[in-house]
Amino acid sequence: MSTQPAMINRYRWYELIGIYAGILAFLTFILAPFVEGFLVSLKPLSQLFSSPYRFIPQNGSFEAYRTMWVSVPGFARYIFNSFFISTIVTTVVLILVVPAAYAFARFKFKGSGQLLGAFLAVNMFSGAVLLIPLFRLMRTFGVLNTYFAIIVPGVAFLIPSAIWLLRTYMMRIPRELDEAAFVDGASHFYTLRRVILPIAMPGITVVAITTFIGSYAQQFIYALTFNSKTEYAPLPVGLFAYFGRQEVIWNELMAASFVGIAPAMIVIFFLQRYLVSGLTAGAVKQ
Amino acid sequence: MGQLNLKKVQKYYGTFEVLKGIELEVRNGEFVVFVGPSGCGKSTLLRMIAGLDETSSGDIMIDGKRVNDLPPVKRGIAMVFQSYALYPHMSVFENIAFPLRVEKMAEEKLKAKVENAARILHLEQRLQQKPGLLSGGQRQRVAIGRAIVREPKIFLFDEPLSNLDAALRADMRIELAKLHKQLKATMIYVTHDQVEAMTMADRIVVLNAGEISQIGAPLELYHKPANMFVAGFIGNPRMNMLPVLCKAVGAGGVEVEYKGQFVTIPVGGRPDLVGQPLTLGVRPEHIHIGQSDLSMTVVPSVIERLGAHTVAYASLDGESENFCAMLPGSAAIRADETVPIGIAATDCHLFDASGIALERRVELTDIDMGLLKIGGA
Repeated sequence: MSTQPAMINRYRWYELIGIYAGILAFLTFILAPFVEGFLVSLKPLSQLFSSPYRFIPQNGSFEAYRTMWVSVPGFARYIFNSFFISTIVTTVVLILVVPAAYAFARFKFKGSGQLLGAFLAVNMFSGAVLLIPLFRLMRTFGVLNTYFAIIVPGVAFLIPSAIWLLRTYMMRIPRELDEAAFVDGASHFYTLRRVILPIAMPGITVVAITTFIGSYAQQFIYALTFNSKTEYAPLPVGLFAYFGRQEVIWNELMAASFVGIAPAMIVIFFLQRYLVSGLTAGAVKQ
Repeated sequence: MGQLNLKKVQKYYGTFEVLKGIELEVRNGEFVVFVGPSGCGKSTLLRMIAGLDETSSGDIMIDGKRVNDLPPVKRGIAMVFQSYALYPHMSVFENIAFPLRVEKMAEEKLKAKVENAARILHLEQRLQQKPGLLSGGQRQRVAIGRAIVREPKIFLFDEPLSNLDAALRADMRIELAKLHKQLKATMIYVTHDQVEAMTMADRIVVLNAGEISQIGAPLELYHKPANMFVAGFIGNPRMNMLPVLCKAVGAGGVEVEYKGQFVTIPVGGRPDLVGQPLTLGVRPEHIHIGQSDLSMTVVPSVIERLGAHTVAYASLDGESENFCAMLPGSAAIRADETVPIGIAATDCHLFDASGIALERRVELTDIDMGLLKIGGA
């Protein structure tokens, strides 16, 4: 029975304590703002500035989750806009990136390396640097104050990282699968659709999730610059409505933040089931 | 029909010549094996016949038609890859049906074809499973099934058994031989395993450094290798090579001297060989304990007892290479003790200074001469 490899006890007990302490510290650092944000959303406004500060709310309630809809009546629209914009951005990115990543992964053509490098270079520009040129471009095309103005820059900025991510994934799919399909008479498009796409599904899911999150988080700067109409404004802009002239309704702002990210969380939850690893098991003998 | 002709086929990678003007004719229904060491160009040649690699120059003809510029599917070939190349997300049924789906075959006809292939390959019970659940041998059978349903003129196999363990490989060898008999199709098979080549091939093509060293029936290659490369490559353990000096060329053969002993080897010689250094080749299995036409003593350093055989390794004076003898399993020899050995002149091969074999004139009474004639190379 004692044929288990010695790998299992690679760490000594004090090393394990160190590792777990490190993980705990890191998680605390990441999660503490969320926990505090959630606790704030449960507190009445009067308790927020009490001294000494209470971390745990007294008589906490979900009252703010009800009143937030009253304070900012159009909040549902902001959530819809964010969700809608991110869905469109993700869909467009996937439609463009899947064939591009396949081409970069499989075909040798002149300048492919330079082109990939150029994509990476685009990502190095801060979005803020390009705001003014983009604004002029949008104005020229007459698309300011439309969904279009928020969607197009989102797609453009998210494509490069998506191509790199998916290309790397597709390069790991054995080339013999393409060759076998080619010998059997399949076109490149047929091979992509019937062979590569299903196998690349975990990679595509990762790209979809990162793009969706990226788009959700990125909308703020474009929405503020290229749009001044409430009907197209996404969630980050909507949250500003809780900043009054005299005060900020912190508990409702926090509640709205949590409600706002819920749709994104639900989408990610459903996409996650495609993240099955080891899908290529049995394709080729390694 | 499934006739293949290669005419002066060349392949360059940059300026490097991988294949140097290959000339080959494969007859309809023949089982031809390409064999050679790693990097000799055998897989490249197969991929060129398949249409996966471009041909730099020369013609690839299938049934008299030049196919250089045709895609694989229009060449009438099917290929089985070393790595199986199965689609992991599809069932065995869908994997085998893949080429038929590409050509949009009617469902009923498709089903019949897949089931027929599954029956031939004993995969009926596995049709609904995914490749990940199958053993190596079953996966390879699925890959063969995908080739069978296309009813190609020529089957191409790229080292299909090299990923299987030894026992499974032996079983699959027999299955492939049966399949060839059953389908009566032309098959071209690439391997570096000479046992596969010897057991399955009608003819073997030995490739070395991008050139054909010899084409012939398996036993022809074994008994009448055309050069030192083929002599060394075919047969396991390798043929022993001894440096000798040509003393005379006569009607009885070529007389050579090895360390003061004179022996006449029954091979065809040329007068200009007299005085030249030659190489005498003798297979380990043709060495006997005791005296013979050429006798010597050796001190084996390592002895491997395999049951049926005893393999002894010794180093001869002045030669760096191991001298190897395959003796009966019961041979009464011990390591580090002197053993007298003898070699019959009729078992010997002679090669000239450039490594080309001198034609053996021995009567190969223990060989079916009809079998030797199959190749007629």
